[in-house]
Amino acid sequence: MSIIPEFLIKRVYKKGSLKQTDDGVCFDLKNVLGPGFISGFSFVKINDAIFGADKVKLVTQGTEIPAEEVSEEHPISFRLGQEGTLILQGAKCLKDGINQIIIELMNPEAGKVKFSLSDDFQAA
Amino acid sequence: MQISFDKNSLIVDGNRVFIRSGAFHYFRTPGIGLAKDRFMKLKAAGYNTVDIYFNANYHSKKEHEYDFVGRDCYPAEQGFEDIKNVRKVLQCAKDVGLFVIARPGPFINAEVNAGGLPFWLLRDKKVIPRNKIGSEYHYSPKYMEFIKDWYDNIIPIIRDFDNVIAFQIENEYATDEMDEGYMRELYQMARECGITCPIFHNDAYHAGLWADIVDIYADDIYPYINPNQNWKQDHFCFDTLDNIEDTVRCFKEDAPIFIAEMQGGWFDKWDGIGYKAMRELLGGEHINIVTKTAISQGVTMFNHYMAVGGTSWDDLACDEVYTSYDFCSGIDEYGNIQPNFYKAKAINYLLQSFGLENTGERENLDLGENIYAVRRKDYGNKCNWLFVRNMNNSPTNITFKPLSLSAFQPYDMKIMPENLQLNACKIEFSDVEIFARVKNGTEEVLFMIADKDANIYLDINGKAVTVSGDKKDYDNLKYEKDGKTTQFLFISPELAYRTWVVDDTVVFNADFVYSSGRIAISKTTEIAYFDLVNGFSKKYFKFQEEDKTIGLKDFDVTFCGPEIDFDYDYSNWKAVGGVNKAFSPDALSVGMYDEFVWYKAKIPNNLEEITLSARHLFAVYINGKEVLNRNSYKYEKLQQIEETISIPLDKNILSKEQNELTILVQNLGFDKGFSGDTNYPRGLVEFSTKPECKIDFYVRDKLSIEKGDFSESESPYLVKLSTTFDVEFKDNVVFSKYLSLKNFPYDRATIFLNGVKIGRYLKNNKNESLQEKFYLINTFLKPQNTLDVVIWEKASNIKTPWDFKFEMKRVIMQVGNERIHQLY
Repeated sequence: MSIIPEFLIKRVYKKGSLKQTDDGVCFDLKNVLGPGFISGFSFVKINDAIFGADKVKLVTQGTEIPAEEVSEEHPISFRLGQEGTLILQGAKCLKDGINQIIIELMNPEAGKVKFSLSDDFQAA
Repeated sequence: MQISFDKNSLIVDGNRVFIRSGAFHYFRTPGIGLAKDRFMKLKAAGYNTVDIYFNANYHSKKEHEYDFVGRDCYPAEQGFEDIKNVRKVLQCAKDVGLFVIARPGPFINAEVNAGGLPFWLLRDKKVIPRNKIGSEYHYSPKYMEFIKDWYDNIIPIIRDFDNVIAFQIENEYATDEMDEGYMRELYQMARECGITCPIFHNDAYHAGLWADIVDIYADDIYPYINPNQNWKQDHFCFDTLDNIEDTVRCFKEDAPIFIAEMQGGWFDKWDGIGYKAMRELLGGEHINIVTKTAISQGVTMFNHYMAVGGTSWDDLACDEVYTSYDFCSGIDEYGNIQPNFYKAKAINYLLQSFGLENTGERENLDLGENIYAVRRKDYGNKCNWLFVRNMNNSPTNITFKPLSLSAFQPYDMKIMPENLQLNACKIEFSDVEIFARVKNGTEEVLFMIADKDANIYLDINGKAVTVSGDKKDYDNLKYEKDGKTTQFLFISPELAYRTWVVDDTVVFNADFVYSSGRIAISKTTEIAYFDLVNGFSKKYFKFQEEDKTIGLKDFDVTFCGPEIDFDYDYSNWKAVGGVNKAFSPDALSVGMYDEFVWYKAKIPNNLEEITLSARHLFAVYINGKEVLNRNSYKYEKLQQIEETISIPLDKNILSKEQNELTILVQNLGFDKGFSGDTNYPRGLVEFSTKPECKIDFYVRDKLSIEKGDFSESESPYLVKLSTTFDVEFKDNVVFSKYLSLKNFPYDRATIFLNGVKIGRYLKNNKNESLQEKFYLINTFLKPQNTLDVVIWEKASNIKTPWDFKFEMKRVIMQVGNERIHQLY
């Protein structure tokens, strides 16, 4: 169980940012909760497609960070107000309309942080 | 006392007051004598408020019964009355001259057992603690009934004290639904019970939670919560604090900014880093930065959590923490002053001298990389204050046109005046920090902290004068204008630590000063005094005390676990029938909430296996012989690891037709309820057999020594080492004593001082004990004392009593003075 209520964690996701890319999906995050670290990405699930850490990258402050390289030993800082784009490679899994998203990551203070949300997507 | 507030501050009897509060746990610092000692130290250090959690679990052992005196404390015959006397605690705070922030929960967290909720309450299946399961909201009328009962009992006591200036409902509360019903009902209940002061809640998430329900929005701020984090490198940990004014103003526009818990230290855990290491990490700099940053953001109500450390004696602790709740606080667990207290004192004195409770028009300044700089207008003093923090790792020259701040020290933060009009001159700007000011109608003395790299820029009758801060102790300058004087008196940072301002008298070079004016020294010392009437005077005080350490070697050794013995009579224990996989006799189910719970049963000789899960430490004995001894307390990634163990049985173990099973479980405490549920089971939480059969258990709580049963046992697993030592009590001598278990060769022990359980020694899974020194709480000390240490040994280590006696000759156990002070 996470220390932070889910309704608060969901605020990290930037509503309306869900996009299809050439080989996957991306969406934006913004830390509106407080300064902290991410010490691991477990997975991101969009509808029925699961993206493990090997398929996830975080682009933030001009740097691309493969999720696999983030660990307890090598956490990344995520400052209050900092923004980033999570890029998921491997499957074009978005459908028109509401898409279900589950994100699970690790935080040194809160432990496992898992949150579910939905976002609207319309193919151009 | 009339309490009101506006956007800027609390207003008490028509006067603006900057609330400078320190948190204190009366339950962890038991006895009115200790409360008075701590309160007088807080007051002397410029705190004007004490924050008090009221722990319902400490007072209520049965439904509708509340002990606010201490009559049910064990051992009752010893007369430790008053350790639960909250009325006397509140009276003491009032007598010392402190306001009180009252926080009666009933959920308080505070790393106490079950977050402060009574155990009997958790047992009631109709009760949903805090109206939530996990993070889901579930309204529970039975829980609300309990709160009403608790409020009906605690609030009449709180209400009798007009120095209570704020009252908190719930603590760190959030659910996924954020249904407002519960919090609105709590607010209403408090009002109906007669609370007239402002009501607030403490939001752990800085998210404006319940801001529309309470009078004053408040939150908690802990920039450092991960011991592995280096806050000096990762200084973005102050991000929340650096933006708090704008954030809070979005939630509540018309109330002062209140940090109900502002980091004064942090708690250590069983698998932590130890308080010594944590103190080194935090240093004095952390509290200096946190507090000054808060003031720079317009905060006018803060509460250092904790300002006073304590001891989780008896069963006070939740499962996360060990006995010491030192918290790296300014006044440590032993009541001694630590460097962060000196830093807090200096800030308090500045606030005491200049108010700063009516400021605004914050201007953020860009003065360079890793420099936080803010200017605030002070409407009360008609000046500006400049707040600058340097997070670079080396002294930094900060350009601040037309001036510059030279060699600003790393991890330092200063509050500096601009255009501050004084009696006989004006400070245009000063990066020499003001420590305190004493004044009367025509005279004022500003005590300045000497700094060779800083200056005071003065306007004296229209003439610019620069005064270097490169001064020796007591150097001074005096200016006069129109019959009024302003004097600057310099003291070094080291002397500032030991300088105390009490009722306009300044005392230099004392270890500490009580608010009553008494001084404390720990070596022969020259004390200087200053006041505006008599000027300076000096006096030598001789320290005559001898610091004696008592080596403990001569122990009586007895085996004290008769419950394990085969054929022990347990017929008068509580019967719990029909235990199997579907029904477990956990602590709440059987109503045994104590740290130690015994389970006994007859088992047939055809069993092939028993399977069990227990929290947290446990041992299984069959026919008086150990078959398993286990520490199941394990956390990984902040999640408790569940552990279920199967024990194969054979004819060698089940040697009789009807065999006697004994299980002893040590519950290190219930969940504190912050992220987990307080009623998460403890004790024997799972038990089954193969082949499956129902077992009739008999249960009892506590070790035999706690029951007053001193009968010796044949079983060598629980061993009591007993000894005595004397303590000399003298007038005018303040001491804090410890028991040292350094190099203790055993893994687990429980310590009793005069029959009171005062500590748990436990080696963690890294085979280290983070606590080897235990505070011998003054309240429980007598001229002649009995010390009992009950060791819980594994079969592989068992010895005869003589072996223990021999081994203890080589173990260094000591009773010593953590510190000793003479009072004058």
